[in-house]
Amino acid sequence: MEAIDMVKSSYIRELFAKGLREDMRKSSEFRKIKITPNVIENAEGSAQVDLGATRVLAGVKLDLGEPMEDTPEEGTLAMSAELLPLASAEYETGPPSPESIELARVVDRGIRAGKCVNMPSLFIEKDKVWNVYVDVYVLNFDGNLFDASELAAMAALVNTKVPEYEDGKVLREKRVKELKIDNIVTSATFAKIDGGILLDPDGNEESAATTRLTVATDGKFVRAMQKGLGGNFTTNEVDEMAEMAMQKHDELKKHIESR
Amino acid sequence: MKDIVLPGEMVTETPIRASHTYIEDGKTYSMVLGMYQKEPLSIVPLEGTWVPHIEDTVVGIVSSVKNSVYEVDLKFFGRSLIIGGKFERFSFKLGDIVEATIKDVEEKKTIILSYPRLLSGGTLVSIKPAKIPRLIGRDNTMIRQISDSTGSTIVVGKNGIVWVNGGDVALATEVILRIQDEAHVSGLTERIKKMMETRMVK
Amino acid sequence: MASKANRPELIVHGKRLDGRALDELRPLKIEASVLKNADGSAYLEWGRNKVLAAVYGPMETQPKHMADPTRAIIKCRYAMAPFSSLEEHGRTGPNRRATEISKVTREVFENVVMLNEFPGSMINIFIEILQSDGGTRAAGITAASVALASAGIHMRDLVYAVSIGKVGEHLILDLNMLEDNYSDSDMPMAISPRNDNVLLLQMDGEYTKEELHKAMEMAKEAGKTISKIQKDALKHVYKKVAEKYESE
Repeated sequence: MEAIDMVKSSYIRELFAKGLREDMRKSSEFRKIKITPNVIENAEGSAQVDLGATRVLAGVKLDLGEPMEDTPEEGTLAMSAELLPLASAEYETGPPSPESIELARVVDRGIRAGKCVNMPSLFIEKDKVWNVYVDVYVLNFDGNLFDASELAAMAALVNTKVPEYEDGKVLREKRVKELKIDNIVTSATFAKIDGGILLDPDGNEESAATTRLTVATDGKFVRAMQKGLGGNFTTNEVDEMAEMAMQKHDELKKHIESR
Repeated sequence: MKDIVLPGEMVTETPIRASHTYIEDGKTYSMVLGMYQKEPLSIVPLEGTWVPHIEDTVVGIVSSVKNSVYEVDLKFFGRSLIIGGKFERFSFKLGDIVEATIKDVEEKKTIILSYPRLLSGGTLVSIKPAKIPRLIGRDNTMIRQISDSTGSTIVVGKNGIVWVNGGDVALATEVILRIQDEAHVSGLTERIKKMMETRMVK
Repeated sequence: MASKANRPELIVHGKRLDGRALDELRPLKIEASVLKNADGSAYLEWGRNKVLAAVYGPMETQPKHMADPTRAIIKCRYAMAPFSSLEEHGRTGPNRRATEISKVTREVFENVVMLNEFPGSMINIFIEILQSDGGTRAAGITAASVALASAGIHMRDLVYAVSIGKVGEHLILDLNMLEDNYSDSDMPMAISPRNDNVLLLQMDGEYTKEELHKAMEMAKEAGKTISKIQKDALKHVYKKVAEKYESE
């Protein structure tokens, strides 16, 4: 952590003790969310998400490929995330960091467990299916990459069109058919600071946090969770956060579905 | 508003020495994005890193302590040191916020600090160093106005780090960030005054 | 380059497939200072290319042993997003092509950045190709130039870049993806508009001396338009704020 972040985090804790957040938000309030779908026309699907000053871009590509051995009549889904070095002075070029791998895997688990993408619809013929690639690009970092990335990946998938397949050829110029989406999952990430809990931590709040929890849900079920950092939660706190995540689902889902 | 000049743009057809310019083939060119005034020729950069000068006041954080040498993080690419000696003893800890004055700059990249003072509590706001002169204002008018209206104690480092303590810290921070955005627009003092008047009434 | 056998007719009645004249640029749009964390940044759309460039620095050199006590060092990353092309999903990570482009781009800026102003420091240039449609290295350099200026970096000039190609007997300006795939030659150039010095030059194919000369003249002519768009983008950032308050 940079020295200035240490000072910032002590200020965040000072404010927190008075029940305040730096930007005057309530503890259960998201920052302003803006989703811009179809920003990359070359991709089969895409969406940019602005969550406060955090900005991520998700792109979806569909390639012709083989099914997995255990699901011969279904397509495949692969998720990756890149913390681009232009997003923060602290990100570096080089092989994927543990943080970017965790981010991709958490987003992936929510969408997979929520059975969001209809996998059988990606079957073409024997040994031939669509491989769906979702790449999350972090363009500017200001905390809570989990929720921003989950929103971006989900919104990109909702806006994905499947290329035509004719005589063994993929015709990407012809993309009319929508990717079949069965469910929408959103996530809510919480940070624990000096015993209290905040929704949607920004960069300064994350540097003051001792523990973090991401809860992915479709409103009906909790679909994935990931606890992070060295601290801990009580089981009561986990209950409360799961409930809050479910309450927030409709609001987030509306953003994903608006075009 | 004054004219904006860009890197590589000719500012005079004669060779004139001025900061942020260079001379080639007898002509003078800008080397930065800045506000430009023809007579007398001057270019004030709109963006960019801080260039340390002797006697600059700076604010930073103690980032390493070795014997009686303290390294201070000023968000500067070089090193900044407080060197204790026989007659001057300091006892700063890692993470302490300090205000100091530049005593010397070696080869543009090593800064020697003097008169360090501990700033306890409060928070730091970092802004673009190019905007610091406007934040201070002519004869400290701007910074005094903010301090008086918010009741906050404010120490401005030329390096772009500002320490704010006490009073309405949130409002003071907001005003500082607003000055950063609007530094080049005329009528700034009046707008800031108006903003604080309306906000303090609430 | 793709096989010539199934090459489409790239020029019909003196016009190109997208309707452009031989010496016509694709639409170019630049926005400066678009990212919050970076010291300087620019977003560029050039035809269907979409490019984000950002600059951090001058900052402390990492790793420390790379620092040059007499001048700043520049690092440059050019990378293409895996979803950037209309073709298959790209392989992530740097490949030989991206590594070469990163190197020649760095060398362009080593020429114009006043490295002596910040001895011992490091200036990072990041170029991300979010959508590609031919001429991405020229687009990247043009965007990075704006990002450097918006970071307040001291430079001798605001560099632009553009590509010239050859189809049969014809020279064409600013090749799109299709033209890039099927043309007989591609020659990207970066130029310092103040003195027309050439800072990047790559080429393959065949040119006569006269064609080479004409190609460079075409690039310089196009440079007037590109330079103006770069400058307007930088000025717009400050005018926008000024107008907001001067109208109050």
